[in-house]
Amino acid sequence: MLATGFLAMGVVAWRKHPYSRVGPLAGLIGVLALVEPLIAGPGRVLAACWVTVLIHLVAALPSGRLRTPAMRVVVGLAYLNTVALATPLLPADLGKEFGTLVEVLLGAAVLGVQWTRWRRTSVPSRRSLTPVLAAAAVMAGLLLAANPMWTPDASLLDMSALKVGLVAVPLAYLATELRSRIERGGVADLVVQLGGDPEPASLQAALAKALHDPTLTVGHWMAQARRYVDADGHPVTAEGTGRVATRVDRGGEPVALLVHDPALLEQPRLIEAACTAAALALHNARLTADLQVRVVQLAESRRHVVQAAEAERRRLERDLHDGVQQRLLSIPMTLSVAETALASDAGRARALIAEAKDMSLAVLDELRALSQGIHPTILTERGLEGAVRELTLVAPVPVRLVVDLPGRLSAEIETTAYYVVAEALANVTKHADAGSAEIRIERAGDRLVVEVVDDGCGGADPDGSGLRGLATRAADNGGLLHVESPAGHGTRVRAELPCG
Amino acid sequence: MRVVLAEDNVLLREGLVRLLAEAGLSVLSGVEDATALLADVGRHRPDVAIVDIRLPPTRTDEGLRAAREIRRRHPGTGVLVLSQYVRVSYTVELLDGGADGVGYLLKDRVTDIAEFTEAVRRVGGGGSAFDPIVINQLVQRHAGDDDPLHTLSDREREVLALMAEGRTNQAIADRLDIAERTVEKHCTSIFTKLGLTASPDDHRRVLAVLRYLNA
Repeated sequence: MLATGFLAMGVVAWRKHPYSRVGPLAGLIGVLALVEPLIAGPGRVLAACWVTVLIHLVAALPSGRLRTPAMRVVVGLAYLNTVALATPLLPADLGKEFGTLVEVLLGAAVLGVQWTRWRRTSVPSRRSLTPVLAAAAVMAGLLLAANPMWTPDASLLDMSALKVGLVAVPLAYLATELRSRIERGGVADLVVQLGGDPEPASLQAALAKALHDPTLTVGHWMAQARRYVDADGHPVTAEGTGRVATRVDRGGEPVALLVHDPALLEQPRLIEAACTAAALALHNARLTADLQVRVVQLAESRRHVVQAAEAERRRLERDLHDGVQQRLLSIPMTLSVAETALASDAGRARALIAEAKDMSLAVLDELRALSQGIHPTILTERGLEGAVRELTLVAPVPVRLVVDLPGRLSAEIETTAYYVVAEALANVTKHADAGSAEIRIERAGDRLVVEVVDDGCGGADPDGSGLRGLATRAADNGGLLHVESPAGHGTRVRAELPCG
Repeated sequence: MRVVLAEDNVLLREGLVRLLAEAGLSVLSGVEDATALLADVGRHRPDVAIVDIRLPPTRTDEGLRAAREIRRRHPGTGVLVLSQYVRVSYTVELLDGGADGVGYLLKDRVTDIAEFTEAVRRVGGGGSAFDPIVINQLVQRHAGDDDPLHTLSDREREVLALMAEGRTNQAIADRLDIAERTVEKHCTSIFTKLGLTASPDDHRRVLAVLRYLNA
């Protein structure tokens, strides 16, 4: 029964953790326990070394590795003791009794160390240690009670009791494994739970619960800042905390970072399942957030377009009413006076006619300025390249123009691009104190890139009314405006506009 | 002087025809698009073609393109381009084939009949006529304190602007109410200060000045 128990433990441990020594050690114990009764004579002593392997196994739990030098010394001594037992240097009985005592003491030492570790360790680690340690303690108790040194009359019955007690070790291990499988089922609940509520705080709580690590921290990937932050925006890292960070990616893109107890690494499948669930939830949360931002942007730009159109209509009405209409009215009035004066004072009539002519030319000027303000006429006549060329020709600094466009673009994109260049060049003239400037207009995929760079004094304020107006204009057309203007290093205004 | 005219607005076209006829010019035809203009210029070989920039079908820059085509095909015909707006870039394009027999004026200029017919005659005679607004825009580009244009006196700058418009020394003298000899002195001084080679030919002088201003 003892052999079967350990063999089963060995097989389960081997299958689930192929790189851990737990499986081979347990299997070895099983094999030794199996062959022990079959070997007679002094060989029995050698066969009894499964107790030593058991000490090794308990010392190496749960990872299969001996973690401290002390543990390695204790286990080494146990093996040395076994070799000594097998080599009859001392009188057989004394040797056996002394050796057994050493073995028991070493076993107790291992238990002591593991007990201390258990007390100090985190909740997830305890969960994998508890059953095996408890079983080992029971086993040690029985071993002490049955030791021939104290109870020379120890019967065979006691030995069987000891062996029954020992079966508790593999059974406890198997129970732990079974529970971790059930816990992975708990991750399924996590998926369901997260599906309905992707709030960062509840995600962290749900993951902590599913992974039984109350100290677990979730870092959310911020693509622009290129780092992980918690729900409050503080950076999350595992460095210097003695904890372990597991990355959660989706589609090759970082999504989150789980900072958790190292013990969870012993349950890779649990971590994996939790990460998959978390990635799904976080990905959904991000898509939702992106959509929300987009909806807000769209509503904002729609409101802005409506407002701008309304303001523009009001301005036009005011300009036409206060300017053009009044001036036009004054022309026939002046001509009427001239008409009356014609018979009596030809000189005065001529002066009045000249005045009326000047007035009509002034109206013409005003109308020209007005229509230019509504839409830059040169864009209509020559398209973006011709219109921008005109801007460069009247600019007071030399401007290099690089245009690479396959043909005409949509009217609204050309207009937006034109205003970007016009405003940026106006800033170069007014503020930059630049020696020269360069304009680049080219297509990059489905985007039109418009860039105005000068070698002036920099320090342009992106929130100033001109650049802000441009950013709004770009956003209203589904584009973006970047302004780089480090003091003393020139200004770069770059607009990206959709033109697909 | 024989004139062919292209203007798509019928009121303006009729007005221009009347205005030019009153001034003693002979208007051979008034057409409304660039195709008819090129045909009539080929047929009549006028001294000057007066062209509105915006002509059918697209009313963008058909007139400007027709003007360049006339300059290429019929060097003996001067071209005077009219527009509601004047552009430096169009001036540069028109100057591509030299400053001989070419003009570019704001439409408003037609209301000063004497000035306008003088410009038409100048262009028809192989001279040039550029709008003061264009010249002003070009001069404004030389705003830097270290620009040689700053070494010119106010009167010299006035003379420079009138030269750039395409006026002769006599016309400049009349405009500024000074002696023609004085204008000549100013011209020599301007050319020296700007480092330009003086040319006795009025037409070449315009090109040199405009190229300097546009550099």
